Amino acid sequence: MFGLPWTILLPTLLGSVLAAMNCSVIGVFIVRMNLSSLGFAMSHAAFAGAALGVAVAVLDPVWMALLFATLAAAFLGPLADASRLNTDSIIGAVFPLTMALGLVFLNKAPSAGIGSGALSLLWGSVLGITMQQVWTLASVTLGLLVLLAAFGKGFLALLLDRKLALATGIPARGHFYAVLFVSAIVVSISLRITGGLLIYALMVLPASTALQWVYDIKKAFLLAPALGMIGAVLGFVLSLVADLPIGSSIALAACILFLLSLAVSPKRRRRAFAKAAEE
Amino acid sequence: MEPAVRLADVHAAYEGERRGTLHGIDFAASRGELVAVVGPNGAGKTTLLEVINGLLPVNRGVVSVWGQSMSVAAHRLRRRIGYMPQDLFFPASTPFLVADVVLMAQFAERGVFRWPTRADRARAREAMLTMGISEFARRPIGRLSGGQQRKVLLARTVSQRAALLLLDEPTANLDPTSRKEISDSILEIRDSLGATTFVVSHDAGRLLDAADRTIVLVDGRIAPSNQDQASVAFSVSAGSIGDL
Repeated sequence: MFGLPWTILLPTLLGSVLAAMNCSVIGVFIVRMNLSSLGFAMSHAAFAGAALGVAVAVLDPVWMALLFATLAAAFLGPLADASRLNTDSIIGAVFPLTMALGLVFLNKAPSAGIGSGALSLLWGSVLGITMQQVWTLASVTLGLLVLLAAFGKGFLALLLDRKLALATGIPARGHFYAVLFVSAIVVSISLRITGGLLIYALMVLPASTALQWVYDIKKAFLLAPALGMIGAVLGFVLSLVADLPIGSSIALAACILFLLSLAVSPKRRRRAFAKAAEE
Repeated sequence: MEPAVRLADVHAAYEGERRGTLHGIDFAASRGELVAVVGPNGAGKTTLLEVINGLLPVNRGVVSVWGQSMSVAAHRLRRRIGYMPQDLFFPASTPFLVADVVLMAQFAERGVFRWPTRADRARAREAMLTMGISEFARRPIGRLSGGQQRKVLLARTVSQRAALLLLDEPTANLDPTSRKEISDSILEIRDSLGATTFVVSHDAGRLLDAADRTIVLVDGRIAPSNQDQASVAFSVSAGSIGDL
């Protein structure tokens, strides 16, 4: 990939960084609110939707991904909300359905076959990303910043304890569904970068890594996108050097950062010391 | 004078529950009154507080706070309702500092795009000072003991200048010293804020002694006879309400 011109590599790098940052911010909500299974289900629903968009030429993959992810949020959100369905059940029911649908749609795509453009929905392929798509990702970043500036107080209260937030006058249910809807948007817009199989990693890993290091949620909202950005750049370089798919490379880099944090984070050390002291 | 809290023929049930938890609850509490809510496990004490706060919608009847229906104006009214849920404990990994947790009690007062001002932060600091937890301000809340965390939750009620306190088992599972400290703090807060206060408690002690009134709940109903109240009062003084 080193031979590629910068007119292709630059949008790739920018797109990867922006997608990673957006997903990481959403990831802080997903991880802290224990909605990982819901995020997992939504990301795979987005994949199935995008696959349908590829299979049916008149449909736009991004809009179909958004539609499917939103439907998943609208259907699963109330179930998770009322704790009527445990997380294993959500994954168990939705993962096979969305993956099967996605693969069936891809099979029917005009360009189906290994290495085809359609399969980039599975593995991610940002080499074809245009500057216009980079601007779309940037506008999502801007939208997230505006949303946090406008309703960040309510979101923080929600992240501390939902019942406590509601009890002090925060419309917690509205904030909860806003998180789900915005997650659906971010997943759908970022799907092309890492692919349907790995976008979940981009949401959960940087946020989980950040929460290993900080005791202040506000800092987690700064550190998670920073780690997402570092993972994206490292993955981009790894992809160039080893000629690997970029989505997989970014996910690998995010995994390595997470495992390193697990090994050396002050929170983990503190827990280990506390356990040793007890013994 | 309009009562601070009024429940008229209130029936409530949790989702999927056939029998219901509260049945025909009728009572009014005046401003500044300290009401102790006692009764055996499963009698509906926690449900009663959730109904007053509007966290659990009623199936029948009306709940009004300061003359306004909770079903209409819950979000606005809750800004002045201090609530301490039963058994809320923040684990060690909770990524929130004590100062922020106390400040967050005022968040609902601020509109869209409006973040806390210096005055809000000063109010939160004052609340922590009142509760004697200023030294923990920059500590993660999950690193505090159970008793200290309860003080943080009480500091939130001071920070939001609550006019109605709903405290669910505020002294449960605490050692005797912490129990006394929390009870004293609640009485001080109630006096300084002039807040109508509902305390659900299993523990005999200062809070129940200081109560202006004791409501005895049995099977989701307010115990009708003096005999029931007398027997419960006896059990409270023996510290065995949970065994009733």
